[in-house]
Amino acid sequence: MNPRRVGVLVYREFVQGPKNFIFIFAVVVPLVLSFTLSLLFGTLFSGKPRMGISDAGDSQFTRSAAAMEAFTVKEFASEAALKEATQIGVVDIGIALPTDFDEKVASGQATNMTAYIWGESLVKDRAMLVAAMAVWVREIAGQESPIKIVTTVLGNPSALPWEDRLLPFVVMMSVMFGGIMLPASSLVTEKQKRTLTALSVTPTTMGDIYVAKGLMAVTISTVMGLVILALNRALGSSTALLVVVLALGAILAAEFGVLLGALVKDINSLFATVKSMGLILYAPALIYMFPQIPQWIGKIFPTYYIIQPVIEISQHGARLAEVAWQLGILLVLILSMGVLLALLTRRMRHQEIQ
Amino acid sequence: MNSQIVFALIRKDFKLYFSNRFFAVVTLLGLVAYIIIYFLLPATVNESLELGLYMAEMPPALEEMLVDEDVWFYRAESVDALKQAVLDGDVPAGYAFPDDLLTQMQSGGKVTAQLYLSPDVPPEFKEIYEVVLYEFAFAIRGQSVDIETTEIMLGPDMAGEQIAPRDRMLPMLAVFVLMIECLGLASLIAAEVEAGTLRALLVTPLTMSGLFVGKGIFGTLFAFAQATLLILLTGGLVHEPLLILVALLFGAALVTGVAFLIGSVGRDLMSVMGWGVLAMLLLAMPTFTILVPGLASNWIKLIPSYYLVDTVYRVINFDAAWGDVTQNLLMLLVYAAAFMALGVVVLKRKFQ
Repeated sequence: MNPRRVGVLVYREFVQGPKNFIFIFAVVVPLVLSFTLSLLFGTLFSGKPRMGISDAGDSQFTRSAAAMEAFTVKEFASEAALKEATQIGVVDIGIALPTDFDEKVASGQATNMTAYIWGESLVKDRAMLVAAMAVWVREIAGQESPIKIVTTVLGNPSALPWEDRLLPFVVMMSVMFGGIMLPASSLVTEKQKRTLTALSVTPTTMGDIYVAKGLMAVTISTVMGLVILALNRALGSSTALLVVVLALGAILAAEFGVLLGALVKDINSLFATVKSMGLILYAPALIYMFPQIPQWIGKIFPTYYIIQPVIEISQHGARLAEVAWQLGILLVLILSMGVLLALLTRRMRHQEIQ
Repeated sequence: MNSQIVFALIRKDFKLYFSNRFFAVVTLLGLVAYIIIYFLLPATVNESLELGLYMAEMPPALEEMLVDEDVWFYRAESVDALKQAVLDGDVPAGYAFPDDLLTQMQSGGKVTAQLYLSPDVPPEFKEIYEVVLYEFAFAIRGQSVDIETTEIMLGPDMAGEQIAPRDRMLPMLAVFVLMIECLGLASLIAAEVEAGTLRALLVTPLTMSGLFVGKGIFGTLFAFAQATLLILLTGGLVHEPLLILVALLFGAALVTGVAFLIGSVGRDLMSVMGWGVLAMLLLAMPTFTILVPGLASNWIKLIPSYYLVDTVYRVINFDAAWGDVTQNLLMLLVYAAAFMALGVVVLKRKFQ
C-alpha cells in the first residue's frame, strides 16, 4: 500500500463524493432525523401539557406558569393570536388575562379570565393545567397552602425521556449509514462504470482503493456522529474519548461497507442487502429504547460495542476505564473484519492474475 | 391510441417493476410493515389522570370530587398498599394524608402530606403532581377563590373520543405507500430512458400519447391499489369509502406525475433515490401537522399532499362528508393534473 496514492484517492473521493446522493444522504439524513425526532418527541410525545397565555398586564400568573418546567408555556402578544394558536392545537389551553388581573385577585374582587380550550386536548392535560392555574391564582390572592408536601420517588428512578432513548438510534444511523453506504455504493458504482478495472491497470492496488474509500467514510461518519451529539447537547465532558469511540465505530462500519462493496455486484442488490440487515445493525439502539426488554440481548449484536460506549460517555459521563472492555471487543471486531478484508483483497488479486 | 397496446405496456411495466429486486422488496415488505406498524400503535388514548389516594377519613366535600371523570382515584386501604400500587405501576403517583387530617386542618396548622412517585415519572413532572395535591388540599379545606372563568371550546370537544395514535399515523402511512411506488415508477422510467427502450417502443404502433397514458395508468392504478389495500386492511374504509377512494385515486395520480418528473431528471437508481427521497420528505411534511398539531401555519397548504392528508384524516377521524372536503378534492385534482402534465412535458422533452 502506497500512502501517497491513498492520499490522492482520498482527495478524489472528497472531490467526487458530494456529487453522489449517498454522500448527501450521509450528511442530510441524520440531521433531518435528529430534527424530526426531537420535534416529535420534544413536543407531541413529551406528554407535557401546553399552555398559552396572553397577558394584557404583567401578571404573576404568567411568571408562575413560565417557571413551571412540567408545562410547555407560550406567551402570545394578543388574545386573537392566542385564540388562533389554540384553535390549531399549538396549546391545549389558552388563557387571556385582563390588565388588572393581579390587583383584583389580590384585593378579593370578583374577576374574570377567558380560557380557550383546544377540542382535541387530553382530559388529563386539561385537569393538570386547571389545577395549576388555581394554585397560581391562590398565590396571587395570598392564600397559603394548607399542606406541606414530602415527595418520595419509590424504586430506582429509571425514566428516560424519549429524546434520550432515541439519541443512540440517531447516532448509530449517522455512523452506520455513512460508514457502510459511502464505501459500498462508491465501490459498486465504480464496478458498474468499470472505472475499477481502469484503475487496475495503474500501480494502484485494491488495498489502496479500499483504504481510501474507507478513510473518507470514517471521516464523514465520525464528524456526523459528533454533529448529532452536539446538536442534542450530548457531547458530555469527555469529548476526546467520544471522538475515539465514534471513529472506531466508523472504522468497523467502513470495513463492513468495503466488504459489501467488494462482494455485491449492483446497486439494487446493495440496497436490498443493507435493508435486510437493518434490524441487526440497529438492534442495540432499538433495544435501548425499551427498558422493558432485557438489555443483555443488545450485547449479542456487534454494533452494541459502538453505541454502548457512546451512551456511557455522553449520557453517564463514563471514563476510559469504564468503557475499556467494550472498546476492547470493538477493537477485536475491527481487527477481525480487517483480516477478512485482507483475505478478500488477496483472493481478488489472485483472480485478477489468473 | 390502441387500448390493446396500452394494456400490453401496462403489463410489461408491472413485470419490469417487480424485476427490480430493490423496489419489489421495498414495495411488498413496505406495505406489510406499514400495516404491522399500524396495528402495533395504540388503538386507544388513555386520557384520564390516574392517582392513588390514602385517606383514613374522607371529608364529604371530597367524595364528590373523587367521582370527577377527569381524574380517576385508586383508594388504598393503607399507606403500604398505596406505595405498592405506585411501585406496581397501577398509578404514577399516590397521595397519603395523616390519619388525623381533619383535626390538624381544623387547628389551622400545616398538614404534612406524602407524595409517592413512580420511578417512571420524569423528574420535571413532579411539579404537576404537587400542584394537583395543593389544589386537593384547598378543596378539602373548602377554600375557594373568587374568579370566574369563561371557557370557550375551540373545535369539536374530543374528550373521551380522542383520536388514537394509529389513526393519526394512517394518512402518513398512506403517503409513504404512494411515494414508495412513485420511486419505483420513476426508477423504471429513468432506466427505460437511459437504456433507450422508450424510444424503441415508439417504432412500434404505440403512439407517444399512448405511451404516457400507459405509464400514467400503470403508475396511478398501482399506487392506488396499494394505498387502498393499506386503508382497507386498517379499517379506514368504514366511513365514506367512495370519498376516501376518490382522494386516494387523485393522490395516486399526483405521485405518478411526480414520478414522471423524477424519472426525467434521474439517470439511475441512485439519482432517482436522491430526488425521490427529497420529494418524499416534502410530500410527507403535511402529515407532521397531524402528528404535531400547530407545527406549521398556512404555508403547508402549498404542498400538494396536504389536501390528500387532510381529506383522509378528516374523513376517517372526524366523519367528514363530501361537502366538507370538496375544496380539498378539487385542489388535489388540480395539483395532480398539473404535475401529470408537467411530468409528461418534461419527460417528452428528455427523450425526444
